[in-house]
Amino acid sequence: MRSKKWLITQIVAIASAGILALGVVTPAKASPSPVTLNFWYFGNVLEPKLVKMYNALHPEVKIQPKQMDLDALNGQSAIAACQGVGIAADIMAIEISYSGYWRQKPQCFTDLRTLQTSGQTTAIKRTNGVAQTSGTSYLTQDCPATYDRTTTFDCIPAGETANTLKSDYLDWRWANGVGNNGAVFGIPTDVGGLQVAYRTDLFKKAGLPTDRTKVSALWPTWDKFIATGAKYVKTLSAADRKKNKSFMDNIGTIYSAILNQGTQKYYSAPTAKDPNGKVVVATNPQVKTAFNTTLAASTAGIGSKVGQFSADWGVGMSNGAFATILAPAWMMDYIKQLAPDTMGKWDIATIPGGGGNMGGSQLTIPAGSKNKQAAWDFITWYLAPAQQLTTFKTYGLFPSAKNIYNDASIQGYTDPFFNNAPIGKIYAAGATKLKPIFEGMRQRCIDQAMGSAISLVANAKKDSKGKPYTAATAFPKGLADAALCQNQ
Amino acid sequence: MTNATSVRAAKPSPSPWKPAKKKPSKPATGSGITALNGKWAYLFVAPFFIMFLVFGLAPVIFSTYIAFFHFDPIGDQTFAGLANFKELLADDRFWNAVGNTFQIWLLSTIPMLLISISLAAVLHNPALKGSTFWRTILMVPNITSVLAVSIVFGQLFGRDFGMINIVIGALGFPHVDFIEDPFSGHIAIATMIVWRWAGYNALIFLAAMLAIPGELYESAALDGAGKLKQFLFVTLPGLRNTITFVLIVGTIGGLQVFAEPLTLGGSFNGGDTRQFSTLTLFLYEQAFVAGRWGYAAAVGILITVIVAIVSAINFVITRRISGESKK
Repeated sequence: MRSKKWLITQIVAIASAGILALGVVTPAKASPSPVTLNFWYFGNVLEPKLVKMYNALHPEVKIQPKQMDLDALNGQSAIAACQGVGIAADIMAIEISYSGYWRQKPQCFTDLRTLQTSGQTTAIKRTNGVAQTSGTSYLTQDCPATYDRTTTFDCIPAGETANTLKSDYLDWRWANGVGNNGAVFGIPTDVGGLQVAYRTDLFKKAGLPTDRTKVSALWPTWDKFIATGAKYVKTLSAADRKKNKSFMDNIGTIYSAILNQGTQKYYSAPTAKDPNGKVVVATNPQVKTAFNTTLAASTAGIGSKVGQFSADWGVGMSNGAFATILAPAWMMDYIKQLAPDTMGKWDIATIPGGGGNMGGSQLTIPAGSKNKQAAWDFITWYLAPAQQLTTFKTYGLFPSAKNIYNDASIQGYTDPFFNNAPIGKIYAAGATKLKPIFEGMRQRCIDQAMGSAISLVANAKKDSKGKPYTAATAFPKGLADAALCQNQ
Repeated sequence: MTNATSVRAAKPSPSPWKPAKKKPSKPATGSGITALNGKWAYLFVAPFFIMFLVFGLAPVIFSTYIAFFHFDPIGDQTFAGLANFKELLADDRFWNAVGNTFQIWLLSTIPMLLISISLAAVLHNPALKGSTFWRTILMVPNITSVLAVSIVFGQLFGRDFGMINIVIGALGFPHVDFIEDPFSGHIAIATMIVWRWAGYNALIFLAAMLAIPGELYESAALDGAGKLKQFLFVTLPGLRNTITFVLIVGTIGGLQVFAEPLTLGGSFNGGDTRQFSTLTLFLYEQAFVAGRWGYAAAVGILITVIVAIVSAINFVITRRISGESKK
């Protein structure tokens, strides 16, 4: 039995060695040996357009994408990768809500301070920042002899480590990828600065102003935002209200937005003694404010109670089932994808309370990767400022590379989909105002516990004694469930 | 296709319950595969047992072990005794998951049995043309990816723009929120399960129906029993063992329903109010979102206990029913 299995293994091994040998022998030129990089991500972290560009520069590198659910990727798969059990990821996206967990286990990832870039010798040909193509492939050019960080972003010199690249990125976003022991395990992708996306046509119909400065002036505070929502809902016909049409998609997003506008969420900032921070979910007044404001929005009935990313959400976006969405920069891409017919009807106003970040991830190289060098070369190119700019223009993900915020191509960027709003300027202003918030160890779990507690009230659920949940009874329930996140 | 009943009437098929009369087999002598029976048999069963050891038994032993630990897979692992179990029995999220699972199980099993048996009865009808085609079609839902099914059903069950709600709305009724309302949501999940398994089980019932001797139907017909009475008093009693089998296998599967609630609810915590949190979803959430492997392993053990108890009850009840009827 065993010998038979061994025989099969041998045959497979010899056959694949033969195929490999053929592959190496055939090309006449001494080209770099082919590498396949397994890129595991969630949502829209990976942009196919950029992968094509990279293939034009490095035909020998094949990016093998695998899209997963956020929790499945950052929970199950990342743990498996850390244990090194047959997980082949070379690059893995870690979302910041999980960064607090992974920062205390930096040994699971490659310390990016120890890797050095091989250096890029060719660059994508760009005219005024726009990549030039011929047919379906991108045009390339040789890199200039001297490297200028501000113009030739493609041409990353040899020998760059996480230490030398650090200054390109926002400090607090960089910190999401630094382990408790100082190791750098991830390079930041985007910043999810929060603003409000709204439908000008629906606002007009409801007798509200449509100009973005006037709309922003409607809601300097969350209370005013809720009041505006209540006003909007009043103008809806009974039939529309019966169809669950409302002011915003889901009031639950208010909770995260307010929470992200504070200085801390569920954990206090780390100290030398307490590298993981202390749990402050019960004592942080921002948590209670966020909770109660969200429930006030629920009482006012300004949400259409549709789950984000559900089937109804996408259709509702097209059909005008709601007029506003709290929009981190990355949300703009979802709106474009899910409701292409609403082009030009959207605009962007500032968020009540100012600032706030939601989401963003780091690209990491799991410790077990067998292609660390190729992965590092790819990541440093992929997250270089020029590429982040492309990503922003194509997908709306706002750069974490701070040195391009004042660049004319960001400041002057407008999007016809959003009624030519200067989204570059709006999101850049938001991003620079952001206060860094420490993302703690069990944050994702606590977030879900508190979110459930809000839903208990919003959906008029009853407790074990048959009484409907109120803000006063649901909050302790949320805290109790959140406390369970700390148990091990 | 061939007329199944008449074929059976002409040549009674061997009953699967009684060993067919055969020539007593002679003990193996000398050559041939029979001589090597002992050794070769092990080889042929080995793949299953190796797979079972690696992917079945080993994880069971390991998770039983870690259920008694506070277990961080890549960090501290400290002995916890029965702490996980004590906490679990007092955890209302666990009992919520138990309730959800049983409700979905009940909502899916009973309609599935009725639909499967009816489908099998239709397929059993000798007048049906193209029976192989219909039998094949019944398997299609079962081999379709659960995720694809869930996405399609997610569209059908949408609150505002789902097809089912558009019909409900057109009939003048208020829209049903299949995602937020627990009971309607469980009906939606049960529908997916029934859709997936009814055809498969129908084929099992069909096989059992084909094994019922034809002369029973003939004598029933002679006694003046119509088609319905034949079905009630000949077919159904003949299916008793199969019903037990389908119920027990269905229970094991039904109490471990995972992909349907996950994709319809959209998150590992089973939705905003944990309305879709089933036992296996709760297990997964505890292991991979909350990072509590020991606690999740304790959930796994309790699932095993629950499945064993329910299967035993199933078995006793169906045994008792068939025992009484034999009097």
